[in-house]
Amino acid sequence: MWTSVFVSGIVLGSFYTLISLGFALIFGATHTFNLAHGELLVLAGYVAYWLWKAFGLSLLFTFPAAVVVALLLCFVLQRLFSLLSEPRELNSIVVSFGIAILLQNGMLFCFSGDYRLIRVPVLNQGFHLHQIYLSYGQVALLALSLLVIALLYLLMRHTYVGKALRATIQDREAASLAGINVSGMGVVAFGIGAVLIGLAGPLYGCIHYLYPTAGPQATLLAITITIFAGIGRLRGLILGGWVLGLAESATVFLWGASWRELVSTIILLTVLALRPHGILGRDER
Amino acid sequence: MPFLRLEVLSKKFGDFWALREIDFSINEGEIVGLVGPNGAGKTTLFNLITGRYRPSRGKVLFRDQEITYCKPHEIRKLGISRTFQSCRPFAKMTTLENVIAGRVFSGKFRLFPQRIDIDTAEELLELVGIAHKAQTPAGDLTLSEQRRLDLARALATQPRLLLLDEVAAGFSPVAVKQAVELVRRVQQKGVTLLIIDHFLTLSLRVSDRLFALDHGEKVAEGTPQEVMRNREVIRAYLGMRHEEP
Amino acid sequence: MRGTKTTKRRHQELRLADSILLLGFVFLLLLPVLARDSDYVLQVFTHAVLLATLALAWNILGVSGSISLGHAAFFGVGAYGSALLSLNFGFSPWLTVPLGGLVATVVATLMGLICLRLRGAYFALATLAFVEIPKVITDNWDGLTKGSLGLVGLPGFTALRLGRYSVDFGASPAAVYYLVLCSALLLASLVALIFRSNLGLALQAIREEEVAAEAVGVQVQRYRLLSLLVSGFFTGVVGGCYAHLIRYIEPGLVYGIHFSAVPMIFAICGGRFTILGPALAALILYPVDQFIFHPLLPAGHQFLYGAVIIVAVLFMPSGFWGHLRKGQFALLKTRSVE
Repeated sequence: MWTSVFVSGIVLGSFYTLISLGFALIFGATHTFNLAHGELLVLAGYVAYWLWKAFGLSLLFTFPAAVVVALLLCFVLQRLFSLLSEPRELNSIVVSFGIAILLQNGMLFCFSGDYRLIRVPVLNQGFHLHQIYLSYGQVALLALSLLVIALLYLLMRHTYVGKALRATIQDREAASLAGINVSGMGVVAFGIGAVLIGLAGPLYGCIHYLYPTAGPQATLLAITITIFAGIGRLRGLILGGWVLGLAESATVFLWGASWRELVSTIILLTVLALRPHGILGRDER
Repeated sequence: MPFLRLEVLSKKFGDFWALREIDFSINEGEIVGLVGPNGAGKTTLFNLITGRYRPSRGKVLFRDQEITYCKPHEIRKLGISRTFQSCRPFAKMTTLENVIAGRVFSGKFRLFPQRIDIDTAEELLELVGIAHKAQTPAGDLTLSEQRRLDLARALATQPRLLLLDEVAAGFSPVAVKQAVELVRRVQQKGVTLLIIDHFLTLSLRVSDRLFALDHGEKVAEGTPQEVMRNREVIRAYLGMRHEEP
Repeated sequence: MRGTKTTKRRHQELRLADSILLLGFVFLLLLPVLARDSDYVLQVFTHAVLLATLALAWNILGVSGSISLGHAAFFGVGAYGSALLSLNFGFSPWLTVPLGGLVATVVATLMGLICLRLRGAYFALATLAFVEIPKVITDNWDGLTKGSLGLVGLPGFTALRLGRYSVDFGASPAAVYYLVLCSALLLASLVALIFRSNLGLALQAIREEEVAAEAVGVQVQRYRLLSLLVSGFFTGVVGGCYAHLIRYIEPGLVYGIHFSAVPMIFAICGGRFTILGPALAALILYPVDQFIFHPLLPAGHQFLYGAVIIVAVLFMPSGFWGHLRKGQFALLKTRSVE
């Protein structure tokens, strides 16, 4: 029994990492928190749902549209964030909170408050592997999550833009001294973040019900994993996702689904209590 | 009995010794200048005395009482106050409120500022010469006015020992002259002063003694004349100049 | 020359601000007479005043510079505390509402222990996450709280008797309105006192320059905790009032992000550094939302709140009331000015 808890925890955790990547990247490069992250994700899911439902488009072809919508919105977000005054971290929270409200109401207006799910029947079938039942949905989710993470890893390691972005995330001042356009990298981070959100959104719509206020839960997951990982560590994000996924599936197994929401809260508050100066660890001299 | 005494006081940030084995004392009623080039550890020393940082080693004694690990507000209660290099005014509060805030948290706790708190604050603003700005938000003051305000706020806490961090930096000759007079008036009120003074604008004129730091270590101590003739001090200051392109 | 011009303009602005305040106050006092034909109008304004009280309570913490995204925790605990006490022990709401506030204070202590070591953005995120704790516990404690079913049939405020006169809150919406208005005025006076007291001075000093506040002897953490507790208590009281006015609560409603977001939005739009700004923003924005945007856009009318908070943070960080009263925010006057 525990093996299947473990497997579903890893699958869930990989997916959680996938949905936090955009948030973490934007935070790392620009030091702003995008509290509208979950709403963008849900909106990308709605776009996929709408194309799938209204035009019968295969799920695979909905990804480009979701990416385009996420890119447009992230561009607006980036423009707004560039207007922020100090303290930027805190102000970005308040502004993006406002954007989250705007998006929630926009989605309520466009898609109503009904619960929606992108149903792909094949994903619910499955097979047995050494007595562990795996659904094709789980396998696809794990494979796609790991694929996107791997692509991001290659991008960050082996392209000029990726290297510049990593340098910006690790040390903004040093990066700008080395001739990297730091604010330009912020725009790039929003762009890549948007692509990641656009890829994660339709998947989210396949395994979670979509409704206008589903966003904050996803945002909380992203915050938790990002703060758990610390800044600029892709491996930390994967580990954070797995820890969260495993803790959630163990909690659901032991105490029931209604306690699941508490898991990310407790992990987040614990990490913050251990690192009260925040994950940047700046110590004022 | 020395008024303030530091014993082998040291502070390490990571692998970097910001201060190393400082032994030093101040007598009651003195004005002592703390000089040294940038990064010598002057402000760190203030932060250790006022309890913002905990020393890695050593002791701080104030009137024969050990205060090494006391909290900032406890040290404040014993009678040590400071000003800040960057002034740190409460920007959205008025100048007057800034000084009142300096006064009301030192003594017995009262729920509201008393008449006397307001009166004293006004007198202090007059003393430092910015009484006409009493109702201006502190953030709107000029740098020189903010330094005066910072001094008034520190004086409002009724200190026995006052630590001044670069009060006259960037002042015009006229303003420096006013600052000299101001420091003397503060001394006459029975306050002992320790003054950080990178450019020696103030301390050469008012100090009884100078204490020179370089790279976190003591390099000289004595009368201003003695210290200024000290080769280490000249090297620390001039050497730095010569290395600059 | 230029100086006198700006002084003159500032005086005009201040006079404008004062007249707005006076007119608004008279309007609020006369509202039950003006709107005697429409229970709906009165209902909307009752809720607006309730939200104004909530924003005032939020700002007791807000003035110290901390932005909380978790006040729904206190609101919900206050509502549930009060509701359960009245349902299980038959106490009158007049007693259980303050008790609910005390329960909220206990939760505020817990939040303080966990979150107050953090500053700025991290404090905000921690409070946002913290709400889940009381919410999930309430949701799961079926035996006590009936879980996600919620509590129905809560008693309303009982009639008050004073000699021969009696005020029946069950029968008269106007009585309820005046009750809520009175509590709002009481809290506003209390906030004014706090702002002018040494506590207010300490909180503002912490907000402006924590290091300097520490240096003048402010015990920063103690004052931050105190402001959180007071803020939590009054938020809990408002939560209790809400429970007994609506007479139905469920976890998703009272712990919902709405009751964390709305006081923050009102406080920041109105002006976090002013006494009345948060309340005024609630009294303007909520009726605008209900009377104008709700009929136009039944689904999605609350986009208004998102829009105003974005505009406020980016373009008017001291809030509209703070902007109007600029130059007159001095709380302590000199002799000469008087």
